[in-house]
Amino acid sequence: MGLTVREKAEYLGTFRWLEVFQMEMLARWIPQVPELEAKVLMGRHVWDFAQHADALGKRTFELRAPLHYTLPPLAPYVKLMRDFAEVETTAERLYVFYNVILPALELRYRHYLKNTDELLDDPSVRVVQRILEDNARLRRESEQLRAELKDFRLADLDGSKEWAKEEAAFIQIVSHGTGSTLARGANA
Amino acid sequence: MSITKNRKVVLGFTLCADPAREPCFKVAQTDEEMTSWEGTNSEIVRREKLHRHMNNETGAMEIAAQCLADFPDAPWELRMHLARQTSDESRHVSSLYRRLKELGGYKGEFPVGNFEWCVTNLCDTLAARLAIQNRTFEAGQMDLLGTLRNTWRAVGDETTAEVLEHILADEVNHVRFANQWIKRMIHEDRRLLLKVAMAMRLLAEAQVATSLAKSEGSAPNGKAKEEKHVGLSVNVEDRRHADFSEAEIDEILRQSGMGSIAETARGD
Repeated sequence: MGLTVREKAEYLGTFRWLEVFQMEMLARWIPQVPELEAKVLMGRHVWDFAQHADALGKRTFELRAPLHYTLPPLAPYVKLMRDFAEVETTAERLYVFYNVILPALELRYRHYLKNTDELLDDPSVRVVQRILEDNARLRRESEQLRAELKDFRLADLDGSKEWAKEEAAFIQIVSHGTGSTLARGANA
Repeated sequence: MSITKNRKVVLGFTLCADPAREPCFKVAQTDEEMTSWEGTNSEIVRREKLHRHMNNETGAMEIAAQCLADFPDAPWELRMHLARQTSDESRHVSSLYRRLKELGGYKGEFPVGNFEWCVTNLCDTLAARLAIQNRTFEAGQMDLLGTLRNTWRAVGDETTAEVLEHILADEVNHVRFANQWIKRMIHEDRRLLLKVAMAMRLLAEAQVATSLAKSEGSAPNGKAKEEKHVGLSVNVEDRRHADFSEAEIDEILRQSGMGSIAETARGD
């Protein structure tokens, strides 16, 4: 059997938390990175993550959860994300964001698509597919920038691969409730 | 810790420390450290104006982004506006940078100032930051752009004029959402009115103390450096679009020495 209505809301609420987190992460970095081109790239993308969060938040309401229902991932995963947000150089920030977090989230979205019922959950599927299309563009734009400006490329690629391994170690990140309780009423 | 907690002192006045800039930029702390020339015809004057404007838009992007970072509990609808503003200002930076390069300029060619960032982020409420940055600086920018687009056209630079037209269209939206949300927030919590009033007083004091705001070209009520060159006027039509009340527009006209225009507009 596929996901229940409550489980779908929990998945989408968790994705929403991650989209808001990414929006805030870029927003916090914009005044901190010195390079104009990096500021501009991040500034453009802040709006993409806001739109993703908005679409997910509207869909959770349709799944009988609160409007803009936002569910933090499991605590160790939250800590990992916060650790990622603490990297300091522009090259590290661009790498961890566009080469670690975004691809990892893409896998988790694809996992959701694989496990949900495309017919019963069609509105969620459309939201997720649009996010995936956007994310491909965001990654492409970051690659273009790093192709043009070599200072933005990470010197220590081996070390940075550990970040992706750390993320991938989390099989499950959604904090599911128990029983038939609806997500409605949970913290939003 | 938020970057806005960092401080600097300029001419005895405490402000937020500057946001990060590349080493190629010389960051001015006082009016005297900025560079400017008379007129708009020569290439170096045009490049300096574009360069100054580019950094100004960079600051606007940074301020909107910092609001997203510092006020996670703000209403979602307002956060969406701030995210959109961040993206709009980013486009403005890119379009001005592109034009600067087309005219042979480069980043760091002239000194830059970050007065707007340094004063706006002294405030600890979102309403106060919106009052200073969007409702005051950006509204002043609307007045400035309303005049400057025609100034660029007058010297035959239609390309730059068109860039400014697009920027102006976006700025009206930024001022409008700030006007609407400030009213809404104050309606819900009257104590914010005092915070906003204190923020405006802080801004006035900072301007007097440092005098850097005027040289950035987007000071409150359009009292910009370009004023003396181009006869800056209040952009009444766009201020109406941005949800300023008629009484507020009249007051701005009066402050700008154009009280008779306000009376004519009202049909007095």
